[in-house]
Amino acid sequence: MSALWRLLTSLKTCAWLGLLFTVSGAAGSVVMGRHPDLFGDMDAMVFSGWWSQKGFVAPVATLWLYGLLLSTGLLAINAACCTAERLVQIFRGAVTLRRLLPHLMHLAFLGVVLSHLVSATSGDRVKGIQVPEGYFAPIGATGLVLGVDKIHVEMAPQGYPKDFGAAVSLYRGNETVARGWIRSNAPLFHEGYGIYLKTFGPTPSGAPYAEFDANRDPGARFILLSCLLFTVANVLYLFPVRKKDETTD
Amino acid sequence: MAALTGIHIVLFWLSLTAYVAEAGLQLGGVGPKEPLRSALFGGVVLHALFLGLRWHLSGHAPMAGLFESLTVFSFCSAVAGLLLCRSETLRAAWRPLSILVVLPQAAAALLEKATSPLFPALDTPWFATHVGLSFLGYGFFAVGLACAWVYLRTGEDAAYRAGSASALYGFSAFSAGMVCGGIWAYYAWGSYWIWTPKEIWSVVLWLYFAALTHLKFIPAQPGWPGWTRRLEMWATIGGYVVMMLTFLGVSLLLRSSHSMR
Repeated sequence: MSALWRLLTSLKTCAWLGLLFTVSGAAGSVVMGRHPDLFGDMDAMVFSGWWSQKGFVAPVATLWLYGLLLSTGLLAINAACCTAERLVQIFRGAVTLRRLLPHLMHLAFLGVVLSHLVSATSGDRVKGIQVPEGYFAPIGATGLVLGVDKIHVEMAPQGYPKDFGAAVSLYRGNETVARGWIRSNAPLFHEGYGIYLKTFGPTPSGAPYAEFDANRDPGARFILLSCLLFTVANVLYLFPVRKKDETTD
Repeated sequence: MAALTGIHIVLFWLSLTAYVAEAGLQLGGVGPKEPLRSALFGGVVLHALFLGLRWHLSGHAPMAGLFESLTVFSFCSAVAGLLLCRSETLRAAWRPLSILVVLPQAAAALLEKATSPLFPALDTPWFATHVGLSFLGYGFFAVGLACAWVYLRTGEDAAYRAGSASALYGFSAFSAGMVCGGIWAYYAWGSYWIWTPKEIWSVVLWLYFAALTHLKFIPAQPGWPGWTRRLEMWATIGGYVVMMLTFLGVSLLLRSSHSMR
């Protein structure tokens, strides 16, 4: 048991897992491009949905993904065990911010991994909702209906869009539950869903239409908080070490 | 506007000339004693003026496309070098550093320099913070390579400490850049994470340097992989290779959201 604990808290374990992640990721970046039929729609649904459909159909082509998931999971366990062990030692001795900072970063890393797990299993993706100006379309099985009141496109003389946006309304039943402008970098959020304007164009009849995605990432807010915690702890860690803290880590 | 466009191109060439001069002086063994009196410092000032003017002209941070990416990488390497290698004891690192600064700038000189338009997705402060911090991290990783190279050749303690610090500073800047990129992606594309080679390599680079900053705490031991300063510095050099694969390899060779092809 103590040998297992030593393995789980070891910095060498961290190094080997980092190597496994690196090799898996490098392989995956190449394999993904060679199997667009397999990996092309990974972002079209939440990860667990994609995994249940395609995670087991091509074991060799998806091997890198198993390596990536395994190394990420074990790195999270490694960080958790390391922090648990060190926090006990720290709180038995002199508690200084300097000694706590690396473990705040570990906890933030755990927060990101766990929150991403929540998003990957209980999130939702509704892709390619095309709505002509003045019309409505349902947003997947959410019960919400998206109406496009107006589409605004400003083209540059060179032929690229300088600005584009859509005035939209969200309905549940006969009731308007949200209203606003959606632009690039400015989605509309309602009931946990973000409505994103992806593209625009003319319908066959010439009327303008806009295409939207609706995504729900229940872990996103906690990931942001974890990332902010990590960044703050990291920045504080960069401050020069005081003499009495020099030997703490 | 045409005059400003011309001036900003002149500033680009002047900064390249200064970097070439610095590299030439370093290779000739006649580098300046004071960083603030070096051609590298002069080049950084000219380079900053060039980037500032280009930002004004294009309306967005000059970090889009291969030309701007290379020139910003060169600038960040020079700035990181001036920050970390100011002391007299680190003057030896200026020789490899001056080459690492001049190469991307010289490569940029071969490319089309016309400003790219302000696409709606770039019209956000997250673009500049994400790319700027990432390139600052890349710059520190370049300094890490220069210091590691010096340490492996001379065993200078100052070079080891600067190489080690560059990995930590680079990791910190790159981490903050990834956070900004995640926030931007969440607002622009609907998810903080998308499955593309660039995103995967970014996490690979992040984990590589996360592991590197941890491994220094493993005490040296006789059996392999006895973690010594030399091995740490070799890993710092390896980190530069991983960074270049992330920055240029993936962007040029593989399909990605950050593709520069």
